[in-house]
Amino acid sequence: MPASRRLLLSAPLAMPFIRTAHAAPRTVTFAAYAGIFQENYEPVVVDAFRRAYPDINVFYYPITNSAQTLGMLRAQRALPQIDVAMMDVTVAKTATDEGLLEPIPRDSLPVLAELTPKAFIDGVAGPAVLYDNLVLLYGPNQVKTEPTSWKVLWDGAFTREIAITAAPDIIGLAFTLVANRVFGGGDYRQSLDAGITAISEMAPRVLTWDPKPDAYTFIIEGSAALGVGWNARGQTYALQSNGRLAAAIPDEGSLFQVNTINLVKGSQQSDEALKFLAYTLSAEAQKAFTERMFYGPVNTHAEIDPKALARTASTPARLAKMMDVDWLVVAKMREAVTEQWRRRILRLR
Amino acid sequence: MGGGLRRPRFSLRGPLPQTPTRKGRGKADLPSHLWLLLPAVTANLLVFLWPMLNLATLSFRDSASGGALLPGFSLATWAGLLTDPYYAELVVDSIGVSLLITALTLLCAYPIAWFVHRAPDRWRNLLMVACIAPLLVSAVVRTYGWLVILGDHGLVPGLLRALGFAHPPPLVFNQTGVVIGLTEVLMPYMILSLLAGFGRLNPTLEEAAASLGARPIAVFRRIILPLSLPGVLLGCLLAFVLAASSFITPSLLGGGRVPLLATEIYDEAIVTLNWPVAAALSVVVLAVFGVALVLYGRLSHAVA
Repeated sequence: MPASRRLLLSAPLAMPFIRTAHAAPRTVTFAAYAGIFQENYEPVVVDAFRRAYPDINVFYYPITNSAQTLGMLRAQRALPQIDVAMMDVTVAKTATDEGLLEPIPRDSLPVLAELTPKAFIDGVAGPAVLYDNLVLLYGPNQVKTEPTSWKVLWDGAFTREIAITAAPDIIGLAFTLVANRVFGGGDYRQSLDAGITAISEMAPRVLTWDPKPDAYTFIIEGSAALGVGWNARGQTYALQSNGRLAAAIPDEGSLFQVNTINLVKGSQQSDEALKFLAYTLSAEAQKAFTERMFYGPVNTHAEIDPKALARTASTPARLAKMMDVDWLVVAKMREAVTEQWRRRILRLR
Repeated sequence: MGGGLRRPRFSLRGPLPQTPTRKGRGKADLPSHLWLLLPAVTANLLVFLWPMLNLATLSFRDSASGGALLPGFSLATWAGLLTDPYYAELVVDSIGVSLLITALTLLCAYPIAWFVHRAPDRWRNLLMVACIAPLLVSAVVRTYGWLVILGDHGLVPGLLRALGFAHPPPLVFNQTGVVIGLTEVLMPYMILSLLAGFGRLNPTLEEAAASLGARPIAVFRRIILPLSLPGVLLGCLLAFVLAASSFITPSLLGGGRVPLLATEIYDEAIVTLNWPVAAALSVVVLAVFGVALVLYGRLSHAVA
């Protein structure tokens, strides 16, 4: 059979196997907090990135907390499945020390020049992406006047109506630092005894040191009147709760909690992952999410609506009252603080 | 010999013919037995033994103060665990609370199981279903149910106030709530074990004892209870192991004030990121279960 006839006959047989050559979209797996955080972050930031970069898929992998992310990174060390991970700064430091994250030099992305200098923490691979702050939660139905001092928690009028998560949880640690400041404890690096002593005095009046699922739910459903939590969730739940929950930053001030964004070492799509990471730090994304969920932004070029900014601790008046906390130092103190909680606070029934 | 009787193939005056020994007869069967065991052994090795060995290996590493795992072999974790009185108290408290829960579960479940056992046939199955129906509901849901019943504004404190107790004692977010909640959660397991044990009972023995003048309490003490001991022991083992390893109910009802082994393992693994300590505590839990199994074996043998 002539070669030309063979080719003509074989071509139809080969047709199903001939595909138009085109670049398949790469998928970036982004591990970040589940629940109300995902409900707000994904539509505002992740979807906006998907629209801006249609050739890059982003898969939002919801995780319960930063420790779970660390566990997954440890398990996947040989072949990471996660490309970008959002984590609390203390966990990010641990992950950096274990070589699980890729350091991001300050000159590697243009957007990094727009960030506040405090976004770069020594020894942590990725920069800060969002700030949150500790707030006093209260139920307006039970607490008629907005509290202006943390000392309302020591008020005997709310016996067994207080819900606070104890140490070693970060809320318990943060509350210890705040109590130490309120009761004249001085530099937390030297001693937290004043804070521990003060909390032990209020311990018998606390309903639970481990509210499940959280203090916000306890107050919304009326089981508690006062609690301690984070501003972003507090403000968001307050708006959704029809007046059953409110969040206040007392006059004594508060402290920031830092969430970082990190590139996982060994990511198979590091170029795309860096594009997504850069987008999360951009003024556009930072503005959108702060106005949606009231986290403090790290991008100094983000022009936040004043009404939204007033719900964060990032106003000049509040910034002046915020404690300067080095969470990496606090992470090293965690074990000692937890021991004090166990011996002096949690045993009081 | 006549009459159609056949001569025996062996003589009653001589030694009895030997039955073929296992060595002589079963030599060909041994390899097939091994092959049949292979899937189960492989599954156990992969999904149980290997992870347990990994866990034990993890307990021989150390972690930095921030939670980072340090490379290499270290006894620091075990040294800290064995010398810190907090962990000794934790183990003692966990075992004590579990024993208390086991005893209460037995006290509450025994009469119910006995009633079901003695129920007419046409009602017994229905009653059994009623006893084990709580197992169809998630432990989380059941525990939240106890929060509603025992909470400060719940059913039981409300009843106590109606009866004149102006300040009823707190029944949740403390050890009381944990004990009540876990007792109810574990009762179906105890009831099932007891019902299995009651299978040894023979009503004629009770009737015979009664006919000889024994009072009901004596019949229970001398006949029913001893014969039901295997079921009691099994139920107690099951309840103890489940109580000692329970996490959900102590976490929801304890209010952070009832540190037990399971909740401590969670805190060390998820909150403080101290995986070596979490792994070491897990090994301790396994050891406690091992001791419980040995005790169960000895007591079962004694009552058999």
